[in-house]
Amino acid sequence: MSSPRILRSSISRRGMLQGTALAGAGLATTRLPFGRGASAATNLSVLSPLAPDPAPPGVAEFSEEAFAAWLTENDAAVNYEAVAWPQLHDKMATNFASGSYVHDVIYMSGWVPEFSEFLTPIGDLISPELKADLPDSSFSTVTWDGGVYGVVFTLSLLTLYYNTEHLQNAGISAPPATWDELKGYAKELTKDGQYGWVLNYGAPEGIGGTASYWMTFLQQAGGKMYGKDGLPVFNDAPGVDALQLMIDLMPYTDPSSISNVGIVDATNVLKAGTASMMMNWPFMWNEAQNEETSLIVGKLGSAILPAGPAGSASIDGTDAWTITRNSPNPELAMKLIEFYLSKDVQKRQVLDTGWLPIRLSALQDSEVQTAASNAAVVLDQATHPYESFVTPDYNAVTQTLGTEVQKALQGEKTAAEALKDASDAVTEIVNKRLNG
Amino acid sequence: MLPALLVLIAVVLYPIGRSIVLSFQRVEAKGGRFEYTWTWLDNYRALFRDEAVSIALRNSLYFTALDVLATVGIALTVALLLNHRFGRAGIFRIVLLIPWALAPVANGVLWKWILHGNYGVLNAVLKELGLIDTYVNWLGEPSLALRMMLLADVWKSVPFIALLLLAGLQNIPGYLYRAAKLDGATLLQQFRFVTLPALRTPIAIAVVLQSIWSFKVFDLIFVLTKGGPGDGTLMLNFLAYRVTFNFLDFGYGAAIANLIFGIMFVLAIIFIRLIKPGAPRSRTA
Repeated sequence: MSSPRILRSSISRRGMLQGTALAGAGLATTRLPFGRGASAATNLSVLSPLAPDPAPPGVAEFSEEAFAAWLTENDAAVNYEAVAWPQLHDKMATNFASGSYVHDVIYMSGWVPEFSEFLTPIGDLISPELKADLPDSSFSTVTWDGGVYGVVFTLSLLTLYYNTEHLQNAGISAPPATWDELKGYAKELTKDGQYGWVLNYGAPEGIGGTASYWMTFLQQAGGKMYGKDGLPVFNDAPGVDALQLMIDLMPYTDPSSISNVGIVDATNVLKAGTASMMMNWPFMWNEAQNEETSLIVGKLGSAILPAGPAGSASIDGTDAWTITRNSPNPELAMKLIEFYLSKDVQKRQVLDTGWLPIRLSALQDSEVQTAASNAAVVLDQATHPYESFVTPDYNAVTQTLGTEVQKALQGEKTAAEALKDASDAVTEIVNKRLNG
Repeated sequence: MLPALLVLIAVVLYPIGRSIVLSFQRVEAKGGRFEYTWTWLDNYRALFRDEAVSIALRNSLYFTALDVLATVGIALTVALLLNHRFGRAGIFRIVLLIPWALAPVANGVLWKWILHGNYGVLNAVLKELGLIDTYVNWLGEPSLALRMMLLADVWKSVPFIALLLLAGLQNIPGYLYRAAKLDGATLLQQFRFVTLPALRTPIAIAVVLQSIWSFKVFDLIFVLTKGGPGDGTLMLNFLAYRVTFNFLDFGYGAAIANLIFGIMFVLAIIFIRLIKPGAPRSRTA
């Protein structure tokens, strides 16, 4: 048995400090040759959402071989930082505020006007071949102050998704085409622990937040957010009607909706078969067909959103790739973006993840049209208005507006009261930006 | 002394000073950089006009008051039980520490699932016991959500405060209780006239510490409710974060943060006075 005295004398504080220093020095010196010799690849850093939100190859499982081949051809290494969608805005805000280089390529959704000062204009970097294959309208949400700062990579509009079995059992032969039908069907379908409608009202701000859903109904009612002077004009009859529709649907809305923060939470309720209808992004189609996680495989229908007094309307997800101003490799970053938007990757994007391509040639591909039968619905939806009203203060505006909408949905305020308060608060926010 | 001073300046004084300066400025992004303009008291004037600040302050004070009462009350009960001869087994103290050992965000995620309106275990258990007919959306209504957040925070905070009070209990000389028994004191009288007076300082320390921790709660709000629904669970710390990182209004966010700092500073001074050893008494006094 070892003497405790011998053990004690072999472990001393000085010895530990010396050992740690030697180990650290050894680690540092041994890493250098590997760092230089093993890889001369140019590193690109990408900030992306986590799947099932729209994510690129390397984060979502598609086009793995093509991606590996691209990395080899371009002598590049890509480090992904993939975060949950609700955390994206604050993460990039913190990174930009630090002033340091963190990422080369960043995903954006409605934040281009807000962060345009930190992004590289890439209008001239987009190849003519790619530009010709993209809808002109796709550049509207990534253009600010005359500069094009990004490329949208998925045709992402909100459309209606519904449980065909629920409607059939209730004797309803077609999805709702008008607001009155939406309310009536939602009421009829609410029974025995099942609800007619579900959504995520838990997060007021951003695209896919409470405010943006109200903006969808606002356009269906014939209203708009801002006048020509940039000040809010939504506190009018269409605005109130839009909010009143949401309030009228509340008795038939799954109760968890008010605390569902992300669309995935609401999607899970529809997939569990406990709600009948929702508006959702195109990825819903693939999600519902996943036998491991969905109880409604083969029972999902898709249609354009019900028409209000001014017809159907939607909002644009504005999912885009951008390049940061302090990226040391803007040309390589642009090549990576063009890879994400290449025809084959765009095709695999829809076939493997459900997120529709933005390239017109990919949308017209027969295999895509067969596999993603909701693509035709989204294209039909795109023939109606789908303004997202993005401005540099989009987050502050939607936070304020969305909070008032939440109060109305909870019965704390009437639709008129909530919109008046929202309009006053948004006017102050916009005036602060316009007047400095 | 100089190295310690340098570290203090770098880690404590500089960030505080910078935050105070920032609160008198307006920050705008231009050409990839931030530009700073002096606005003097504008941000502080906005504090008094902003409805969100009054909602957040009210919620923070409400949450802190109830959290401190509940935590200290439950912790005292737990400490008394642990100080009893049947409660002295080490296993009880180990189990007690589990909630305290959880990372705050992990605690938030755990309670998010417990309280989930559709899939949460709380609803399932209550329904099985026949205490509710339909599932309750615990985080869907502002006052209910605030109380659920209290539950989550009290659950996590009780262990540390209980151990703090247990240390105080174990320092009470046994002869005081023997003397009280000899005088015919009941258990309740012993608690009131021996235990509580002896625990005055540990209880005061517990109250101040828990007040500081409750007032600056952030993780639970971030994970559970994001301040909603309808700003019903909004608190000052989360509001400062929202204004700074959601709205990129760094100056105003700094002003809110400095309001919190001022309140914490007062509480910290009280705490320091409580733990400062008193001057030794003269034997002849």
